[in-house]
Amino acid sequence: MLNATLKILQKFDLLVIAVLFLLLAPIISMDRSIDFMIFCIFVLAYDLLYGYMGRLSFGHMLYLGVGAYAFALSGEYLAANVFLALLIAVGSGAATGLIVGPIVVRTTGACFALINLALNQLGYFLVLVAFSRWTGGEDGMSASFKRVGIFNFSNHTIVFCFTFACMLLVVFLVRRLTNSLLGILLRGIKENETRVKFLGYDTFVIKMAAFILSTTLSAFAGALFIINYSYVTTSFIDPLRSVEVIFACLIGGAGSVYGALAGGVGYKLISNYLPNYIQRWEMFLGVVLLLLVFKFRSGVWGYVAAFVKRCDRPAEETKSHPEVSR
Amino acid sequence: MLLSVDRINVFYGSARVLSEVSLHAKHGEVVSIVGRNGAGKSTMLKTIAGFLRPLTGAVKFDGEEISGRPPDQVARLGVRYVFQDKRVFTKLTVRENIELAAHAAKVRLIDAIDRVAQVYPKISMFLASKAGGLSGGQRQLLLIGRAIVGSPRLLLVDEPTEGLAAGAIEEVLRALELLRAEVSMVIVEQNLSVVSRFADRIYCMKEGHIATELSDLADVRNQAYLETYL
Repeated sequence: MLNATLKILQKFDLLVIAVLFLLLAPIISMDRSIDFMIFCIFVLAYDLLYGYMGRLSFGHMLYLGVGAYAFALSGEYLAANVFLALLIAVGSGAATGLIVGPIVVRTTGACFALINLALNQLGYFLVLVAFSRWTGGEDGMSASFKRVGIFNFSNHTIVFCFTFACMLLVVFLVRRLTNSLLGILLRGIKENETRVKFLGYDTFVIKMAAFILSTTLSAFAGALFIINYSYVTTSFIDPLRSVEVIFACLIGGAGSVYGALAGGVGYKLISNYLPNYIQRWEMFLGVVLLLLVFKFRSGVWGYVAAFVKRCDRPAEETKSHPEVSR
Repeated sequence: MLLSVDRINVFYGSARVLSEVSLHAKHGEVVSIVGRNGAGKSTMLKTIAGFLRPLTGAVKFDGEEISGRPPDQVARLGVRYVFQDKRVFTKLTVRENIELAAHAAKVRLIDAIDRVAQVYPKISMFLASKAGGLSGGQRQLLLIGRAIVGSPRLLLVDEPTEGLAAGAIEEVLRALELLRAEVSMVIVEQNLSVVSRFADRIYCMKEGHIATELSDLADVRNQAYLETYL
């Protein structure tokens, strides 16, 4: 019964997700819900590599930051057209993935994690020091854009609606991709890349595709953050903040679109509200991480799905063995 | 000649594991490689499949040099490898395992499932199940079935009966028997009863080199005779 309910909800998942976020918005405020949705896009982008391909990155803020700064800089120096800036931001994310990908995707494990961290550090330095004349360095820079038709992004309702639509689009896109052959290949690579090669696949191409998709979506999230905040600072490319998206994946459950959303919202709820009650809330987060790693590896969504399966199993066993029910 | 391995030398680091090894397989032939543990049998298959690169010598498949080419390129030429460890993609469903092979071979999924069913008729019962839940024998049949999707020209099979119960061994051997008319095979096997039943020719390996080649069918079918070479 529960399994059937879950299957129905999955069939209309975009609608369910839309309704849940629309219900959440008035509870936590519109501004916060915009932040939550953009962060969920970032988590989805990250989970493509971590959850599906099994590659943990410690420097994914680089790609978010590339999008954020590309967006702001194009608005400042090219044209104050938000959609052109978005296109440039997304293109910058893809280009970054294309440039660093050939080095990064050939690595695995700790190498993959640390090479991304190193690149993130490099990006952080460039923004903070080397290009500070343009980026504003530590002070950052503001980003304002002219109205384009009905899209006046100084109006937070418009920002909310736009971000809401973008999030649903990204969820749809990621879900389609992960349910396709690409998703199967990524999970195969995660489990045993050598065997995927022996089937006849050039795994480098597949990994590059996933990596570029992840960096592109991360840059997209970065640009959306700047639409929301109208300014960009080095915090959007700070390597220390990469841990946030890792936490979110772990909380929600890696390797699942629903897990990424649950984790994104879960992490944001913790980081937004817990500081009101606990001064050292990061310590609480550390304890949560330990619990997740040692006891609840599947995350929230993983345990929900397993619980539903367990609840339905006695009913299924009774159906297949009718004499048991008598 | 379908497969020609000509005086290859393969190293693991500084240790030579294959020394001046030559073998060949004709179209439609089943060639077996036997030998004790550590003789270099699996290394030979891995070299042919592209997992290892020979330092010297050449591997040719249907006249085309393939030594040093990556495994995915070798696979696309029509060489498929069935590993010894019976490792399927455990977290994928059986259908997804087959789908990977289908897409790589550019065949429809439904045709790929039918192909796998030729060696493992019961496969349709397990399509939605995670492949990790299959038994050892079922995994081996899935791997063999998956390897023949797209009609490869050469199958490299590494110890297909190792670790299997008697019933499962029979099923695997029946599957290989079905396939021998369609695809050439190089089978590494320690079970001499299997070797003597299937092989057209046998290479006996010892300490990284070919000790003997047996091509007389009477010798090949004589299990007691084969045992003298181990």
